[in-house]
Amino acid sequence: MAQPAQSAKKRKIKGDGVWGYAFIAVALIVYAMFTAYPVLSAFIISFQEYKPLGSTYIGFDNYTATLKDDLFWKSIKNTLVYTVLTVPVALLLSFLVAIMILPLRKKLQAVFKAVYYLPVVASGVALSLVWLWIFDPMPGGIFNQFIGWFGAHNQNWLGASATAMFSLVIMAWLSSHGASIIIYLAALLGIDDSYYEAADLDGASFLQKLWHIVIPSLKPTTLFLLVTAVIGSFQVFQNAYLMTGGGPDHATTMVGLLIFDNAFKYFEFGKAAAQSLILALIIALVSLFQFKFLGKDVDY
Amino acid sequence: MMNKGKALSLMLAATLSVSALTACGGNNNNNGAASPAASGSSAAASGSADAGAKDTITALLPPVSPTYQDNFDQMEKDFNAQYPNLTLKIEPASWEDMTQKLDTQVNAGSPPDIAFIGSDGIAKYVQQGMALDLTDVATSEMTGDYDATPLEYMKNGSGLYGFPAYMEVHALGGNKQFLEEAGIDWKKVQKDGWTYEEFREAIKKGVVKNGDATSRYGFVFATAGVASKDYLGIMAKSAGMPAAFNEDMKYAYTSKNYLELLTDLRQLIDDGSMPKELSSVDAGKRWNMFLTGQTMITGKGLATFENSAKKNNEKIDAKDGSAVKDSIKVDYIVLPVPTFAGALPISYTVVDGYVAFRGKKEPTAEHKANIAKAAYFLSSGKVAATTNNDLFAAHITKSARDAAASMPMERDPNNQAAVQTMLSHAAPARPDIPAELGAKAIKIENEVIIPKMQALLANEIKPQEMYDAVKKAAIAAFGEDGIVQD
Repeated sequence: MAQPAQSAKKRKIKGDGVWGYAFIAVALIVYAMFTAYPVLSAFIISFQEYKPLGSTYIGFDNYTATLKDDLFWKSIKNTLVYTVLTVPVALLLSFLVAIMILPLRKKLQAVFKAVYYLPVVASGVALSLVWLWIFDPMPGGIFNQFIGWFGAHNQNWLGASATAMFSLVIMAWLSSHGASIIIYLAALLGIDDSYYEAADLDGASFLQKLWHIVIPSLKPTTLFLLVTAVIGSFQVFQNAYLMTGGGPDHATTMVGLLIFDNAFKYFEFGKAAAQSLILALIIALVSLFQFKFLGKDVDY
Repeated sequence: MMNKGKALSLMLAATLSVSALTACGGNNNNNGAASPAASGSSAAASGSADAGAKDTITALLPPVSPTYQDNFDQMEKDFNAQYPNLTLKIEPASWEDMTQKLDTQVNAGSPPDIAFIGSDGIAKYVQQGMALDLTDVATSEMTGDYDATPLEYMKNGSGLYGFPAYMEVHALGGNKQFLEEAGIDWKKVQKDGWTYEEFREAIKKGVVKNGDATSRYGFVFATAGVASKDYLGIMAKSAGMPAAFNEDMKYAYTSKNYLELLTDLRQLIDDGSMPKELSSVDAGKRWNMFLTGQTMITGKGLATFENSAKKNNEKIDAKDGSAVKDSIKVDYIVLPVPTFAGALPISYTVVDGYVAFRGKKEPTAEHKANIAKAAYFLSSGKVAATTNNDLFAAHITKSARDAAASMPMERDPNNQAAVQTMLSHAAPARPDIPAELGAKAIKIENEVIIPKMQALLANEIKPQEMYDAVKKAAIAAFGEDGIVQD
C-alpha cells in the first residue's frame, strides 16, 4: 500500500517541477535574449572593427584606443563629478520628503507619493523641454529672472562651462525622486512602533529618535538606494544628450553619451562596446567598494 | 482546473515575451526576396526574376515639407498606377528621429531601400558598404532629367547613390523694415553681396538698446542643438574653404583663413551686435527672436522661411491666436552670407535626396532597378514639384519644372533672384573626397570643432586656442603633410 502512495507523490512533485521549469524558462529565455546575448555580443564586438557586412577581429585595439583617449577619461571624470554631486543630495532629499510624508493620513500619503512619482513616468524629453525653458539664457528665462531679483546678471546656464554641469546637477536634484521616496516610506513603515514607544518613555526628542532609531534601521535601504543610484548615475545619458549635447567643450560629456556618440554618430561599435565593458567594470568595482566599506554592519 | 490556470499563465507570459521579440525583430529590407509580396517568387532572390515580377520598395521619409507626409497615400497610389507590378511602402519618420532610426536599421543590416537624407551623409554609408550604387540601373532618361550640379552631390567616387530632391542655399534672412531703418541697401546686398567689414558695420546699426539691456540685436544665428555645426560650416565656405579638403586633398581648416574667420565671428559678439548667450540659441529660439523683432538679421535662412513669415503675418492680420506670441509683421528678405579674409563668395548649398541602401544580402538586379524607379519617381515630376513649391525651393528637374508650371507660388521676386545669384556660385560637389577621409573630418568636426566653437562663443577660449586644437586634431588624423599649412 505504501509504494503506490509514494510513487503518486513523486509523480505530483515531478508534475509541479515541470510547471516550475516552464515558468522559469519564459523568464530565462527573455533574460538570455535581451540581457545575456547582447552582453555576450558586446564582448565579441569589442574585439572587432564592426561592419554590418562583415566585421574583422582587431584584438585589444579598441581597449587600448579607449584607454589612450583623453576624451574617455574626461567623460569618466565628468561622470564621477556628476555622481558625487547628485547621489548624496538626491538620497537626502528623498529621505527628508519620506519623513515629512510619514505622519500624514494614508490617503494624503498616497497623494504625495503619486505626485512625487509622476516625473518618473513622465517623458524625459518632455521634462527636458521644460528645463530648457527654465534654463533659457536670455533675460526672460525663469532662472535668469529669479537671479535678476537679487541683482545678478543673466547666465548662459547650459552654454558656459562654469554653469553647464551645475545646471544638470540642479535638474537631478529637483526631479525624479519618486522611487526612492516610496522605498524609504516602505522602510519607515517597517520600523517597529515599540522602538518609538520606548524612546518616548525615555523622553527622546525627534532628532534623537531620528538619529538612534530611524537612520540605523534604514541603513540596508540606504545602502540599496545608494548602490542603485550610483549605478544609475554612472549610466546617465539622457540629460546630457537632450540638454547640452555634452558641451560646451565637453564640459558635460558623460561616459554614456560618449559611448552613444561612438556607436551611433561614428559607427565605431567596437570602440563603443569596449567602453561599455570598461564602464561595467568600473561600476562593479565601485559597487563592491560600497558593499565592502558601507555594508559592514548592515543586516538584511 | 489548476493545470488550466497554470497553462493560461504560462501562455500569457510566453505571449508577452514573443510580442516583445516581434517588436524587435522587424526586417523591412526585402532585397527583392524577403517576402512573397515583395518578390513575387523566390526567383528574385537568385537574381533571375522576370522584368514584370512583383516587388516592394520601402522608403523611410521625414516631413520634407509641411504637407509632404499628408501626400504619402497618394504617392503610393500614383507609383503603383505607373508601375502596376511594384508597391511603394512608405514609413514616415520625424526629423528628430530620422537619422537615429536609419542608422539603427543600417547597422542591423536591414535598412529601407530608400531614405531621405542629406547628400553629405552618403560618405559614411558608402564607407560601411551599405549605400547602394545605382549607376548601372539609372537610365539616361532618369539622369538626364536632373540639373548637373545637384546630381553630382549624390555621387561618391564614381558611384551614384541616389537622386537629389532639391538644392537649397543656406543664406541669411533679414527684416525689411529694420534693414531700411538701419540704412542698409538690401537690394544691392542681394545683388553684389557684402564683405565681413561691411556686414559688421551693418549689423552694428541694427542694434537697439534700452539702457544697459539690448532689446534688438543686429544678428542672431542658431548655434545650439542640431544647428551646432551650421554657423561655422556656412561661413567657412565664403572664407576660401568651400570644403573640408582642398583639391590636393589636404585638410583645409588649418588654413590661416580659418583663424581669421574665428576671430571675426568672435568679434561680432564682442561688438554687442550678437548676444553673448549665442552658444545656447537654438533654431527655434532665433526664429522666435526674429519674428518678435529681437534681431534684424537671422541665420541660417532657408527659402521656406519667407513662407513661414508670410503665414505668421496673415495670422497677425486675422488676430489668430496661433500666431507666434508677441510677434510683429515681418517682410522676410533673403541675404547672402558675407565673405571673409578677402575670399570669393561661395554659397553653402544643401542637396538632400533619396539615397538607396542595400541589406546584408546583395539585392537582385531587378530589385535594384526598381529602387532606382522609386527614387526617381519621388525626386522628379509631380511629387518634386509639389514638395519644392511647398518649400519655396528651386526645381532641379525638367519634369518638376513642367509639372510646377501650373502650380501657383507666391514668392518675392527679389528673394527669388537673390537665391538664383547665390546658386550661381554654389559650392561644387566633392565626390572625389574618399569616404575614409570624409569620416575622419566628420569626427574632428564633432569631437573638436563643435565643442570648441561652443567654448569660443561662450568666451571661454580665444580663437587662437580653438585654431590650435583643430590643427592638433587634424595633424593626428591626417599627418603634417595631410593638412593645409599656409
